Amino acid sequence: MQKECDYYNREYIPKMNRIGIVTSLLGILGMLLPAIVLWIVYGLYPIPSKLISAVLTGTSSFGILWFVEPISYYTILGTTGTYMSFLSGNCSNLRVPCSGMAQLTAGVKPGTPQGDIISTIGIAISVVVNISILTIGAFLGSILISVFPKSIQCALDYLLPALFGVLLVQFGVREMKQTLLILIVALCIYSFSGKSQLLYKFTSYFGLLFCIILSVLLSIVVRRHKE
Amino acid sequence: MDGKEIAESFPIWIASGISVCTVLLQAVIFAGSAYRNGIRIGLTKEQMKSSVKASAIISIGPSLVILSAMLSLLAAIGAPIAWERLSVVGSIIYESAIASIGAASVGIQLGEDTLTPEALTIALWTAILCSIEWTIFGIYVANRMGRIQRKILRNNSLKSAAISTAALIGVFSSFSAQNIVKSNKNTLAWVLGSIIMISLMKVSDWWNLKWLKNWSMVMAIFTAAVIASIV
Repeated sequence: MQKECDYYNREYIPKMNRIGIVTSLLGILGMLLPAIVLWIVYGLYPIPSKLISAVLTGTSSFGILWFVEPISYYTILGTTGTYMSFLSGNCSNLRVPCSGMAQLTAGVKPGTPQGDIISTIGIAISVVVNISILTIGAFLGSILISVFPKSIQCALDYLLPALFGVLLVQFGVREMKQTLLILIVALCIYSFSGKSQLLYKFTSYFGLLFCIILSVLLSIVVRRHKE
Repeated sequence: MDGKEIAESFPIWIASGISVCTVLLQAVIFAGSAYRNGIRIGLTKEQMKSSVKASAIISIGPSLVILSAMLSLLAAIGAPIAWERLSVVGSIIYESAIASIGAASVGIQLGEDTLTPEALTIALWTAILCSIEWTIFGIYVANRMGRIQRKILRNNSLKSAAISTAALIGVFSSFSAQNIVKSNKNTLAWVLGSIIMISLMKVSDWWNLKWLKNWSMVMAIFTAAVIASIV
């Protein structure tokens, strides 16, 4: 076990870091490409003053999340998972569930070298599946809109809340008391968030991080207590 | 040419396609190395195959939700850009908001007014400049946090396993609570999802049904969503 852990830390992780940095930078260039094509091929570029004001509006509404999200999810996603999730997006609603379920199915513990590798495979598969579905959607486009009946559209609205309920059961069932406690605290936080604008902003920026830290601290306390 | 024609022109399709391919390329490279190193680190092929299957099954539901978000963005800013924006650092929560902020700055209401070339340009640039930071800071965190975490935990894998599991519970509690407090059909979907999941877990344990264990999650999610939308 120790030998495998050493190999993981000394060789595997540095190699993944090199791959991650190169491919993510490539991804950033790719992201800029459509805008560059607009500029070069069609001579279209934004008026700087208007662009700055639009970007500032965006930044003030969720700029903090650029920093809070990668830190919050790191302990779950691991090194490679963080590279992939923050290039491909849809972290909470797709990458984190896939990472967790892949590890649960393979019977490995999250946070261990084995868990990290299984999580990497899980996230990579979710990227491939997600992009395949979106690609079909993009090419069928308007045809799909007309055949996508209203009833399916309506059911899809409730898929994510159902997903989070199912996931909480799946992962919380072994630590029932702790999970219930965290859920109750989270419910208190979010039900008060509507009371004022400031509170609302605060919970939407830091609510998630707070729940994660609380859950981690609680698990440490419980472990100490048992020992 | 109006904005929509430019947005759906061949050069934009190519540029968006290359952009989407970089994301795919990264995933394929990582999956390949993880698979090869998995065997060295003591994982069996069966474990890795089972994780591929589990992840593929779970991805379908959320991907359909993302697809439906893409379809509404597609009507507003054209297929290739909608496709690219939701494949690369896209998030269904922010993507259309960012594009709307951009378009609004030149007085265009996205999805309502006709798309002018000017609105298309600024919507695209705003979307890029407001999401690129996620990737940049993601690179930094991925590269640095590992060292910090290993130092704090001194490679104690039992401790780090407990912390990651607790973090997962924290994430799912937070998103559960956000849906429950809405006290509308989202709450109902959440409650139904968890009740159906608990029942299916119990049933598959009693009769030791392996197939049900694999599919219980998907069944619970879709059943709950369908019931919530009908009621």
